[in-house]
Amino acid sequence: MTIICKGEELILSKERAIYWAAQKMLIISDLHIGKSAHFRKHGIQVPAGIGDSDLQRLAGLIDLYDPQTLLITGDMFHHKSNSEVTAFSEWRKRFSKLKFLLIKGNHDQLSPLEYASLNIELIQKELSCTPFRFIHETPESTDASYPISGHIHPGVTLYGKARQRLTFPCFYFGENYAVLPAFSAFTGLSKIQPQKNDRFYAITPSGVIAV
Amino acid sequence: MGIEKSNGYKQVIKWLKLSRKKPFRFQTDAWQYYAEGYCGLVNAPTGFGKTFSLFLAVVIEELNSRAEKTNTASKKRKADTGLKLIWITPLRALAKDLARAMREVCTELELDWQVSVRNGDTTAAEKLKQKKQMPEVLIITPESMHLLLAQKDTATHFHHLQCIVADEWHELMGSKRGVMAELAISRIRGIVREKHPERLLRIWGISATIGNMEQALEVLVPYPEVLKIIIKADIEKKIKIKSILPDHIDMLPWAGHLGHKLAHKLLPIIHKSKTTLIFTNTRGQAELWYQNLLALDENLAGQIAIHHGSIDYELRNWIEDALHSGILKAVISTSSLDLGVDFKPVDTVVQIGSPKGVARFLQRAGRSGHSPHETSVIYFLPTHALELVEAAAIKEAAKTRQIESREPIVMAFDTLIQYLVSLAVGDGFDDRKIYRELRETHAFGDLLPSEWGWIMQFISTGGDSLSAYTEFSKVVKKEGLWKVESRQIAMRHRLHIGTIVSDPMLKVKYLGGGFIGMVEESFISKMKPGNSFTLAGRVLEFIMVKEMTALVRRSKLKRAITPSWMGGRISLSANLGSILRKKYNETLDKNHDDEELDIILPLFERQAKVSHVPKSDEFLIELIHTKDGYHFFAYPFEGRQVHEVMAALIAYRLSRKTPISFSIAMNDYGFELLSEYPIPLDEENIKALFSPENLGEDIVGSINSTEMAKRKFRDIACISGLVFQGFPGKYTANKHLQSSAALFFNVFTDYDKHNLLLRQAYDEAFYQQIEEPRLLAALQRIQVSKIILIKAESYTPLCFPIKVDSLRENMSTEELGQRIERMTAEADQKMRPVHMKSRKKNDHNL
Repeated sequence: MTIICKGEELILSKERAIYWAAQKMLIISDLHIGKSAHFRKHGIQVPAGIGDSDLQRLAGLIDLYDPQTLLITGDMFHHKSNSEVTAFSEWRKRFSKLKFLLIKGNHDQLSPLEYASLNIELIQKELSCTPFRFIHETPESTDASYPISGHIHPGVTLYGKARQRLTFPCFYFGENYAVLPAFSAFTGLSKIQPQKNDRFYAITPSGVIAV
Repeated sequence: MGIEKSNGYKQVIKWLKLSRKKPFRFQTDAWQYYAEGYCGLVNAPTGFGKTFSLFLAVVIEELNSRAEKTNTASKKRKADTGLKLIWITPLRALAKDLARAMREVCTELELDWQVSVRNGDTTAAEKLKQKKQMPEVLIITPESMHLLLAQKDTATHFHHLQCIVADEWHELMGSKRGVMAELAISRIRGIVREKHPERLLRIWGISATIGNMEQALEVLVPYPEVLKIIIKADIEKKIKIKSILPDHIDMLPWAGHLGHKLAHKLLPIIHKSKTTLIFTNTRGQAELWYQNLLALDENLAGQIAIHHGSIDYELRNWIEDALHSGILKAVISTSSLDLGVDFKPVDTVVQIGSPKGVARFLQRAGRSGHSPHETSVIYFLPTHALELVEAAAIKEAAKTRQIESREPIVMAFDTLIQYLVSLAVGDGFDDRKIYRELRETHAFGDLLPSEWGWIMQFISTGGDSLSAYTEFSKVVKKEGLWKVESRQIAMRHRLHIGTIVSDPMLKVKYLGGGFIGMVEESFISKMKPGNSFTLAGRVLEFIMVKEMTALVRRSKLKRAITPSWMGGRISLSANLGSILRKKYNETLDKNHDDEELDIILPLFERQAKVSHVPKSDEFLIELIHTKDGYHFFAYPFEGRQVHEVMAALIAYRLSRKTPISFSIAMNDYGFELLSEYPIPLDEENIKALFSPENLGEDIVGSINSTEMAKRKFRDIACISGLVFQGFPGKYTANKHLQSSAALFFNVFTDYDKHNLLLRQAYDEAFYQQIEEPRLLAALQRIQVSKIILIKAESYTPLCFPIKVDSLRENMSTEELGQRIERMTAEADQKMRPVHMKSRKKNDHNL
């Protein structure tokens, strides 16, 4: 689905990513690489393969849009380095020409050296890219630029007849800021209370729909 | 050999004589069988000393063995101290009273035994003391038993263990806590057999009367080689059941669940009794009745209290103590006071609304008149007209002892996984040995080697053998034993055992401090600051949520909305359903002596006039066309839960023929399908519609079994240690490891289809939620029934409660009240012409 936001054309992919064609930029958030391995290390049975399939989806998007830049608005790595981070490092080599920009999220705890070795450019706070400002957590202060953030893993609930209820991850475009869905499939959802003039784009198995 | 000749027996009899007591036959029987080495189950009415039937058996044995020792060599007494008796109780509240009673006995018999309690409330200091020196008697919950097994050097505690007693076994058996008890018993028995093969460890249960007594014994003591017996007291507890009747049937609404119309009739009962326990079915109802009684009689302020599971522990403790001392005139309670504790001053019990099952009703009745030969008095207060029939049905069931069975839970893989990790956290376990023990239990008697293999893989490598999970670590093999090495995992696991699985609950606290109770998060999330609600009988104004706590202040309002806690609705039991159908026959035939049925007769005559009153061999269907649409009402009398699935099934089968959509409503008597278009139905196709053929397939097609399984998976994920729910109000330590059960459900569905926990979720949905076997039985009964199809002009007395129930789902209580009023009026008006005509005629004649 394509939307116009602040005069810019953005493609919302059902693979939980935004493609900003004018800038040749693919934007995702909350990739949480290494999360499932981190759980397993602590004795919680999370199937292997989740991390793999996240990366496969990402590779698919890169192949589809052929971006120059991949921007991750925070929480790319769940915790410390582990086997999944190693697997990512191998995967990264396939796209050596692609620029990886990471806006540091609360989860991102690798050392500067590790980011460097993974060929990721780390941005401490935010990235201004008129008319947008990319940031991990929604800023409290507002200025002329429109913040696009991640962090909260937004979800939206659709209500049907006979008390039917379905919750999906979503893109949120509010009056003052936007929030990206979490890219990783192994993430929960937090529901956003709708305000006036808010737009929600639910990610259903068949595609992105405006709610 | 007769126990009567033994020293210990004489001592106990002598002591009993001092307080002018004589043992009951079932007690001496239990002592005798215990001494002979039997395991078994004691079944006796409350108030007759069930506890003593087993506790004294162990005491007598001790006294005898001491006497024997003094006769021979008397030096080695010291080494004999240590745990002799484990007493499992389902409720913490029971433990305190039990310990008090047992200590009294020990003091009076000059027996130097320690009696200790161990449960979630036990202090760390007390636990440490127990670890150093176990008391002779340990009163413990199933969860704490597992915690005991999760300690190092557990095996040393059981050197002197003689007996394990499972109190209130009927209550435990039908739940996963029962499975926990089964598992802990199997392990302790295994340890004792290994260390002391000569010892006869005896396992006994105490149970109220249930339909499947023999099975209850088999579940508790599944071992074929031991001697087993059920000891049934030949004393009948006298129970007086009295309905609070309206003066005229018109006083009672056709539908509703509060019963306030009869509240004024409750006041004299409260006044003339010493202490009254008032049982309601839901916590919300309890709150409303508390307010209602205060509104009716201001003098009751300070003399009545409210007791339910969401009220602060301290406050509940205070209420329980106040009940003991007789300060309170009445306590309004939910099932939180169902069990065991003997409140001596309580002489009257009131049940508001249908208790939904005979066993529950009798259990509640037993809360009054506790002493032997006293009569238990229970009043039944119907909340709507048709419940009068239920009252008559319950009376009959109580008289003829038709009491429901409790189905034991089998193959609870989540509980098994938790148990195995507990053992691994403790001293470690030998998988071959544990497998043998498991195969002897009832819960896992059918455990296949392949399933066992999967479970061992799951806790050791994470996944199955084909897809071992990288970097997984939990349980590892060390020197032949499976152990948990990581201290962090061990600690988290110990914290985890016994977490009560429930909807996320929030603490409710005053802004200035002071804890009031808990409410569901989903309820609070709908509140706005400034809104008021009631909890623990107080009207509170909501201010904000902070760190899992809802902050409130006292509200100036007199009334406010009451939280509706989830899971409040219990379904009618099959047993009560069938007696209910019989009572419908009797009402019209007038061959009964139930006063309730006399009162309701006018309503039945009305039903007969506008439609039909179904007899027990008939199956009534009503088709009614109103401006809301086309209604289809069916009355199987199988309980809400079965109706929910049956309604979905019929809707599915109807819509398969022609595209049509329905809204569905149900209660304990029947269900409704509502459509905008005429429903294609006639005498011909009804039986095919209700056919038991292709049932499994059609269920899968008609209801969202995935959603149901997902709901079931919430408990499973929590019990098996996938998600850590945390304690309400407490910050969960490791944020990096937080996730949700729903997420795991999806992840397993996508990446690990053969996960046994997933299978368990679907099984639970099918057998517990959908109750497929019961649904099948109901459909088969319908097949041989006579179908009565009635096209009614307006809502009938029978369909009315269903209609109203369906409204409740999307309207607030206030509007609901008005709507009910209007609909009653509408139904009345359509009836009226007949009446008015006849009255006019009479006038004329006069």
